[in-house]
Amino acid sequence: MIDLRNVSRLYRRGADEIHALEHVSLHVPAARFVALMGPSGSGKSTLLNILAGLDRPSEGEVVVAGERLNDLSEDELAGFRARHVGFVFQFFNLIPVLSALENVELPLLLTHLAKDERRQRAATALRVVGLAERASHSPSQLSGGEQQRVAIARALVSDPEIIVADEPTGDLDAKNAELTLGLLRTLKQEFGKTVVMVTHDPRAEKYVDLVHHLDKGVLLETRPGGAAAAEGAA
Amino acid sequence: MIKFLPLVWKNLGRNKTRSVLTGAAIALAIVLVCMLRTLPAGLDYFLDQIAKNNRISVHNKAGIVYSMPYSYLQKVRTVPGVVEATSWTWFGGAFEEEKGVTFPNFAVNPETIGIVYEDLEIEPQALADFQRYRDAALVGGQTLKQYGWKVGDLVTLRSTVFPIELTVRIVGTLGNERDPRLWLQREYMTQALEAVGVQFDQIGTVWARVDDPARVNEVMRRIDEMFRNSEAETASETERSFFANFFTNLEGFVTIILIVTGLVALCIVFIAANTASMSVRERVGEIAVLKALGFRWRLLFALLVVEAALLSTVAGAAGVLLTAGLSKAISSAAGWNPQLGPLGAFIATGAILVQGLFLALFIGILSGVVPAWGASRRSVAATLREVF
Repeated sequence: MIDLRNVSRLYRRGADEIHALEHVSLHVPAARFVALMGPSGSGKSTLLNILAGLDRPSEGEVVVAGERLNDLSEDELAGFRARHVGFVFQFFNLIPVLSALENVELPLLLTHLAKDERRQRAATALRVVGLAERASHSPSQLSGGEQQRVAIARALVSDPEIIVADEPTGDLDAKNAELTLGLLRTLKQEFGKTVVMVTHDPRAEKYVDLVHHLDKGVLLETRPGGAAAAEGAA
Repeated sequence: MIKFLPLVWKNLGRNKTRSVLTGAAIALAIVLVCMLRTLPAGLDYFLDQIAKNNRISVHNKAGIVYSMPYSYLQKVRTVPGVVEATSWTWFGGAFEEEKGVTFPNFAVNPETIGIVYEDLEIEPQALADFQRYRDAALVGGQTLKQYGWKVGDLVTLRSTVFPIELTVRIVGTLGNERDPRLWLQREYMTQALEAVGVQFDQIGTVWARVDDPARVNEVMRRIDEMFRNSEAETASETERSFFANFFTNLEGFVTIILIVTGLVALCIVFIAANTASMSVRERVGEIAVLKALGFRWRLLFALLVVEAALLSTVAGAAGVLLTAGLSKAISSAAGWNPQLGPLGAFIATGAILVQGLFLALFIGILSGVVPAWGASRRSVAATLREVF
């Protein structure tokens, strides 16, 4: 599903060169829940951005969902993201002037679906995350955990193969963090999504199949997560 | 694009106070621009309405406030090319003394006025009555409406020029509903003057109708030549030129106002652009999220420009409606008033209102383009890094 080969990312800040990623190769098979972990500045968000088509590598090859992202223009990358990738952010990033339902419906505006169909699908996605009854609420009327679940519904609604989540529990209390991780796990388990998550949260390890550990832009190790161990034991 | 309009509309309601204030500034600018745009067109329209290109005025070369001998009227009639001539003498009658002269009133020659002013299409019966009855008067529609007068009413005017008071009987309507004038018989005035011991054999202006507009210059030259070196030399000019002289200063004023109006419109562009920039700057993170979700930059650019244009156009529409109402109110409320000049005749036409609406749209588009371009072209990864 996701193949990164020898990917490097170099940023220039004035005269300084910052090596955010150095020769990283990564393979994520379909329907896996993987975590990218590491200290701040280790390059995990950069890696997530590159594999989600938000950023381009300075060198190396990126193939996701059968498409070589290196070859795509900005517009083509936008189209790629709309078709293949759902996003969950640390601070939820819902549009404050839209209701929960309208926020979830947003990615569907880029499709040719009729309004009724869009509304129906958005309502279904909200039901999946357990917020059907909060559809008409605005983000300010929802708790942090609820907002994150709306964001997950938004990521899910266009039925992408890949869900990327950047610190999805970073702004949540313990209970909501567990709920969110459980939901992401459900996306993989029940819907066959490939979920890639950047996190500092040690609780996340037990929900994921694989943990990729980065430091200073280098992929140091890959180890099985708690979920893989549990499935193996079962 | 239609399916994105609710999103655009809701974004406009994000900061209602700011949107309303910006909209109000744009609406007022559109009112200002539209009202001022009526000035040049209104002036032309006004002159076209009141002036014919085959009618000339002959007045004292020293100025229109100076009179000429009454005999000049007969001499003008003899000039080849002159179909008929008549005289106007300012009576300066006040209906309500404390308010002074509130509408122009002149003593005229009833037997020839209908020929010189055939374009006024005075009803034949009214013209016949005006010629038949010594105390008859013809009154313009505006003054009739202003005082609620009707045909048959007796009206007393106290002259501010002569030591007399005349009671006239209205026998018909003069001109259209915007005409403020009142004409009374010259003979009625001179007889009243004789009764108080004043012999009056002067006239203010001679108005002559020329048979062919192409001969107007020649006729004017002959008339002025005829009175050269006389006790009262004359200056002849076309009717349009005669009235345009009243508004010469106004035209210069209009030019200045139009320049100022252009600058006002430019200021509004900057104000609207500043609002659009603030609005976009506040949402830079959201815009990055929309890009992450797959919104292409062209779509985001269009949505942001449409947002600015929608605000401006809605405000412009309000401004246009306000202009239409204001212009109607002014034209219906403006009685004859020397200070107002022809303002009462300046109507915001459909063309001016449409121009106002397009100006508002243009302001919106122009103000939205720069911030929209910057926001839509920003790198999504860099923005997400900076903002979150």
